[in-house]
Amino acid sequence: MAEYDEGMGKLTFKLVYYGPALSGKTTNLMRLHDLVSAELTGELMTLETQNDRTLFFDLLPLGFRTPSGLLVKFKLFTVPGQVAHDGTRKAVLSRADGVVFVADSQRNQGVNNGESFQNLMDNLQRVGLDAQHLPLVVQFNKRDLPNVLSEQEVLERWGTAPWPITFASALSGVGVVETFDALLRVLYRCAEAEYALAAQHQLTEQNFVAAVIK
Amino acid sequence: MIDESFDSDLALDELLPPVVRHRLHDALAVVLGAAFRLLDARGMPLPGEMDVTGSRIPLVLELEPIGYLEMSCDDVLRQQAAKTLVELLLKNEARFKMASRLHLESVYADYEMLQTKHFALQQSEARLRTLSETLEQRVQEQVKTIEGAQRLLYQAEKMASVGQLAAGVAHEINNPIGFIRSNLNSARDYVRQFESLTPLVKAREAALLAEMWQQQQFDELLQDFAELLQDSIAGADRVARIVADLKNFSSVDRAELISADLNDCIRSVCNVAGVQAQQVKIELGLEDLPTLTCNAGHINQALMNLLLNAIRATGERGKIAVRSKLANREIVISVCDDGVGIPAEVLPRIFDPFFTTHDVGQGTGLGLTVCRDIIAAHGGRIKVESEPGQGASFTIYLPILV
Repeated sequence: MAEYDEGMGKLTFKLVYYGPALSGKTTNLMRLHDLVSAELTGELMTLETQNDRTLFFDLLPLGFRTPSGLLVKFKLFTVPGQVAHDGTRKAVLSRADGVVFVADSQRNQGVNNGESFQNLMDNLQRVGLDAQHLPLVVQFNKRDLPNVLSEQEVLERWGTAPWPITFASALSGVGVVETFDALLRVLYRCAEAEYALAAQHQLTEQNFVAAVIK
Repeated sequence: MIDESFDSDLALDELLPPVVRHRLHDALAVVLGAAFRLLDARGMPLPGEMDVTGSRIPLVLELEPIGYLEMSCDDVLRQQAAKTLVELLLKNEARFKMASRLHLESVYADYEMLQTKHFALQQSEARLRTLSETLEQRVQEQVKTIEGAQRLLYQAEKMASVGQLAAGVAHEINNPIGFIRSNLNSARDYVRQFESLTPLVKAREAALLAEMWQQQQFDELLQDFAELLQDSIAGADRVARIVADLKNFSSVDRAELISADLNDCIRSVCNVAGVQAQQVKIELGLEDLPTLTCNAGHINQALMNLLLNAIRATGERGKIAVRSKLANREIVISVCDDGVGIPAEVLPRIFDPFFTTHDVGQGTGLGLTVCRDIIAAHGGRIKVESEPGQGASFTIYLPILV
């Protein structure tokens, strides 16, 4: 859980946006870059694309310093969604501290969502991560499109799952911050116990989220 | 194995290898027009850097400084230009390093997966090889079982035809035994009558004896006695001949090869078969044959099967012709009957094991199969010609081995 560099006073979280091809993972990061007001916001690094589709990954670094001087750093990655790039997807997923699964809300994408989610579960197991305890948020994207599953339908299907469900239209920025907010909260609860964030760095869940999102 | 994961933080000296750093120095010297040095994230100069003091500006990658540029130049514009150039260089270098490390990582993962698959394939191949080895063994065991069963069936077939024979032979032997016994009973009576003459002979009563001889018709009695004994001897000879033929036929079980005249075989088989079908006329047309090295017992069995079939086909009063000759270095033996013949649709199947036209219990369906196998074992072949109502003709060809 997280990478703590005591010498440099740095705590790094690796967060991965996972999901089927063309579900809007990169768009999430682009909008997040514009919408968050973290003390430290890096440039969105896009590695390589082919016809606007991610080949390797995108990387958005965010961060802030606690009053105690600790640098809390978030590295937000996207994976290539196309089935063929599973090796890359697996490598990006390894050592992840949290995952946002970006699903496509369109009715005809149910199978793709299911296969990609199964692929996420398989790859988590392959890279040695415990899906039961990994911070995970499921985002239903593309709410602005016609012919999408209604929120009620989504909740009927996914409501029994233990993960927070969010709805978004990443293209217009709706729900992007809320999704990240949800992930940060689950992440904080996992990290707090391990790094005594509140006790040693006066970092409450509210502070933790607010420092990035405000 | 890969030492660094693609997403681990990069240090300044990783991104600026000596050759790059050397050329960067030359370019920066022109841009800054002053002395400068590069420091790492902790503010320690990179190895080989000169001792320079002055203003220090951070070089930021992602969020935090990964190093510093310290220079004796106070021109802020030049400082900013130098910072921008180095940061752009670092960022591009970082992109390249991350991409190549990620690529390596995924290639290595794929390689590992291929290794695992390869190992699994090798294991399954080994399993298959073991299976195929035992398969061969299992097939051979199965073949052995089938061969054993086949031998038993052939044995059963032989026993069946022997059983069929036995009934006929018993009848045939019973007949002469019956009249020999009856003759001997008569002979005993005749002896008693001669005994009654004894007192007259002892008393030398010649006249009385002659009268008695005349009165009792001893002349006829004596003649009858001689005929009766002659008949009995002929009957005993017949029994002896049947027994001899049977003995010959029963050499079926002797597996060794002997040099045999097949005409002898034909005669003995016809005798044995003939006794149970006395109404059937068997004609022999035998030309001189060279001796053939063969398993005579088996040849006898083959001939017997053909002959029994012919007898069954002709019914009560048929005619069977058995001929032998030598042609094209082959001994040719034919068995022709004038019986019911074989329907065209049945003809192709008559040599098939267990194919029979007889009622259940009347035949094993192996007679002709065994016959064909025996001929084949001697390097020969068997042919059949038949038309319904016109009888059937089986011809055996046996090559003479030189």
